[in-house]
Amino acid sequence: MYIPRYILTLLIIIYLLFLMSVDWINQPDGAWYRPFFVGFLVVCVAAWTHRRKDSDEF
Amino acid sequence: MNFEITTLLALGCGYLVLLFALAYATDRGLIPERLTRHPVVYVLSLGVFASVWSYYTSIGNALRDGYGYLAPSIGISLAFLFSPMLLKPLLELTKTYQLSSLADLVAFRYRSPWAGTATTLVTLVGVTPLIALQIRAVADTANLLSIQVSESAIAFSFCVLITAFAILFGTSQRAGRTRHDGLVMAIAFESLVKLLAFLIVGLFAVLSGFGGFDNLDLWLQSQPELLDSLKNTDYFSSFHVLALLFFAAAVALPHMFYVTFNENNDQRALSIASWGLPLYFLLLGLPVLPILWAGLQAGSSVPVEYFPVVVGAAYGSDLITVIGYLGGLSAASGLIIVLTLALSNMCLNHLILPISQPTANQDIYRWLLWRRRALITALIWAGFIFHFIPDERTGIQITGTIAFTACLQFLPGILAILYWPQANKNGFLSGLAAGVSIWFLFLFLPLFLNSDSASLVALNWREVAALSLIVNSLLFVSVSLTTKTSDEERSSADVCALDTIKRRKRSGLVAKSPREFIKSLSKPLGESTATREVNQALQDLGLDMNDRRPFSMRLLRARLEANLSGLLGPSIARELIDGYLPYAIVSQHGSSDLNVIERRIESYRSNLSGMAADLDNLRRYHRQILLDLPLGVCSLSFDDEIVMWNRALEKITEIDSSEVVGSQVNELQEPWLSLLSNFLDEDASHSYKHYFEINGNKKAINLHKAQIERTGTQDSSHEGVIILIEDITETEILEAGLTHSERLASIGRLAAGVAHEIGNPITGIACLAQTIRDEFDNEEISGLAEQIVEQTDRTSRILQSLVNFAHTGTSKTQYEDEIVSVEECMDEAKTLVSLDKKAKDVNIELHCDPRIRIRGDAQRLLQVLVNLINNARDASQPNSTISMSAAVEGDFVRLSVSDEGIGIPAAIKDRVFDPFFTTKEAGEGTGLGLSLVFSIVEDLKGEIDIISPVDKNRGSGTEVILRFPALVDSNDGLED
Repeated sequence: MYIPRYILTLLIIIYLLFLMSVDWINQPDGAWYRPFFVGFLVVCVAAWTHRRKDSDEF
Repeated sequence: MNFEITTLLALGCGYLVLLFALAYATDRGLIPERLTRHPVVYVLSLGVFASVWSYYTSIGNALRDGYGYLAPSIGISLAFLFSPMLLKPLLELTKTYQLSSLADLVAFRYRSPWAGTATTLVTLVGVTPLIALQIRAVADTANLLSIQVSESAIAFSFCVLITAFAILFGTSQRAGRTRHDGLVMAIAFESLVKLLAFLIVGLFAVLSGFGGFDNLDLWLQSQPELLDSLKNTDYFSSFHVLALLFFAAAVALPHMFYVTFNENNDQRALSIASWGLPLYFLLLGLPVLPILWAGLQAGSSVPVEYFPVVVGAAYGSDLITVIGYLGGLSAASGLIIVLTLALSNMCLNHLILPISQPTANQDIYRWLLWRRRALITALIWAGFIFHFIPDERTGIQITGTIAFTACLQFLPGILAILYWPQANKNGFLSGLAAGVSIWFLFLFLPLFLNSDSASLVALNWREVAALSLIVNSLLFVSVSLTTKTSDEERSSADVCALDTIKRRKRSGLVAKSPREFIKSLSKPLGESTATREVNQALQDLGLDMNDRRPFSMRLLRARLEANLSGLLGPSIARELIDGYLPYAIVSQHGSSDLNVIERRIESYRSNLSGMAADLDNLRRYHRQILLDLPLGVCSLSFDDEIVMWNRALEKITEIDSSEVVGSQVNELQEPWLSLLSNFLDEDASHSYKHYFEINGNKKAINLHKAQIERTGTQDSSHEGVIILIEDITETEILEAGLTHSERLASIGRLAAGVAHEIGNPITGIACLAQTIRDEFDNEEISGLAEQIVEQTDRTSRILQSLVNFAHTGTSKTQYEDEIVSVEECMDEAKTLVSLDKKAKDVNIELHCDPRIRIRGDAQRLLQVLVNLINNARDASQPNSTISMSAAVEGDFVRLSVSDEGIGIPAAIKDRVFDPFFTTKEAGEGTGLGLSLVFSIVEDLKGEIDIISPVDKNRGSGTEVILRFPALVDSNDGLED
């Protein structure tokens, strides 16, 4: 199965972010919007990894 | 809260009219295309997924599951974040084969109309609750705002309005062919409206409900039970299943499939959607918690799902209430329009058309359009009826979950399309049947058993969803592995699978031209429809109506199938194409379609990595070698179809490769048809010196051929012939020129010998004449003897000139390094040229100072001048003047020979010094004269230049200018 390199990068980053942020999000005194902060980070990383133009893929 | 029902109706109508106007303006081109086709519009149109589920249900989910309410957003976001693994390959498939729905895709991949029908039926039953959910949410919220009118009346009015809109804009164009820009723009606008409405309500909840973010935090700290429910991890049990449901829904839900694949006009848009849609859902999820907490703080008694509507009223703002209501209305209407439109196509292609088809006399487009409209109406009203059926107490959360769980049953089949070529229709249908049965028994049926929501929840939908998926997958795999897969299905699996680029079999078609295609298709479709479809397919492929190449015909057939698939669904389209455009030869061993394989590899190139990429690079390298080979290469398949026509061959034949690749050898034009056909019939592998003419140019070629032996396994074997075509035209001309030169040299030597032999008696005659002149006193006799002496002198000069000329131009001749009198040379050249009595009579003028000298070889200079004067005379009219002049210019002596002739055309000016280039008739010129002049002038360290025309106004006359280094000192004082 072919997995583009940038997708693998994204997968690893998201996984690491998830691991690092679960406890931080669920801290009792943590702000309620912490999951959105993590989500925004994921979107930024995804926008960065998808920035290339796949001109010859079709 | 008690809004006037007229206000709510006006709001609903006004909003839909606004959408109508926007869609209308887009379709009429009033909105710039760069805006309507902007990727952001596509991303926003994907927001149609955020139905009332995201708008209302997420509030209830947040209360129950805490952060678990984000699971649907995460599920759909994951599908888009990793789009290159699922969505992009599917987009490629749907675009290539014009597959407009999941049922089309499944029917295409599993080569079974039953697979398409089953998919449609399950989708139909599964998503009807989703339509009902939207109607119910709109009716409930309107009922909350205005208790004057019954919920049913509101639902009825909403359905009437939405039916009209869906029919007007969803079916105004030919489905499956073009992007519905107006509809997409309207859906994108709806997504924007609901997002903005939700954000505004959320911000209002924070500012008015709590007095700001700090106060919200303070309030939250005072609500430990809320904080606990928010951050508890109990939701993890359902989180994964819910995320998976929504991941599958990204492809399996008809409206998502429709917008993601059908309305995509640019693959880059999907790349942007890969992060744009997750961002959209992130923003949509942000206001959920503040709205929930504001509603709870206000102590609202309405169901928690409808807090976005009531929170405004709870804090005294009717405007926010209206905004909240409009957001919900927007979410519901957007989903219903796209869902019913997509579902109507599915039902038409997989439920109606297999039973009833238009006749050839009917307008097929109109027939389809009206049925599609009827289906849209039926679907919306089925949803309307359905929204009554579940018990009033059944929450919208349960209804939505049931719909999404139905779509989950397609996930194994979808993944297998791309990643498991061994899967077959038996496996797919068995797995689907098992999964759907579990879903039906444990989730769908209880809706009608008048049980309350508590009992439904008690069924634990998570376990039912997981169980149905597991049973579905297990059966799918085991049945696929244990039952036989048809060749047709295997071939289709290869087309769909990501990792296989297998060789296609190539067969000839019965129909040999686009006109024959039209004739064949006229039987089922009618002549006008068949003509329209064939023309459309030709236009899509950039082919011509006169193209008869088998390769083009195969492409045309595939394109027609794809286009008809967009119109009638893949099953009917395949049936039509197989029935009316059959193959003449059944696929056979060794008939792989190399051109198609090559195209596929080209389109797949960026997906190749590792060894596959290396092999592809090697393939390209070898191919490039063949293409750039300075010999003409033409490779033929076993049935004489041209597979390769390289660049050198394009140059030799003056035929572009795109015109012939894919055609048969017997379709070539003359003289290539005879040459190649005869050569192929011969046993000899080499055939030399074939002469012919192309566009007036004489050509000569050698032909060589070799059989391409079968390689590899039976399946991948291929045989054919490779022909090398060697252009020997230049060599032939050189050989002819050399022969001619040799003949001239022989004549020269002969002339020299004759001159020498004649010289002796002439010398004798001259001696005798001199004796007579000197010995006899008779004046008359002396005078006659003097005349004899003069004539013999003249004869001697002529003979000497002949000998001189004959001795030049041979390799044995050595260059003299002597002082040459230019005037004498010119005079001698003039004399020599005048001897040719057969040539035109021209007046040769000589303007030269007798003192001008150069260093060089007189005989060579003489040869140059004779050639130039001869050329000038050939170009001149009889009795015109040829001028020869010489003058000193600085360090050079400038010699010029000019005529009043026709001049040299600009097009051939650069070629006049080329060996054997001549404009004279055959036999009149060798094409060596000026070439010889050029080389001699160079040997004498001089320069040559041609000015033509001399008379710019009349465009006539040529002047050849020679420049030689002047002899130091001897030309002093001669400069003009």
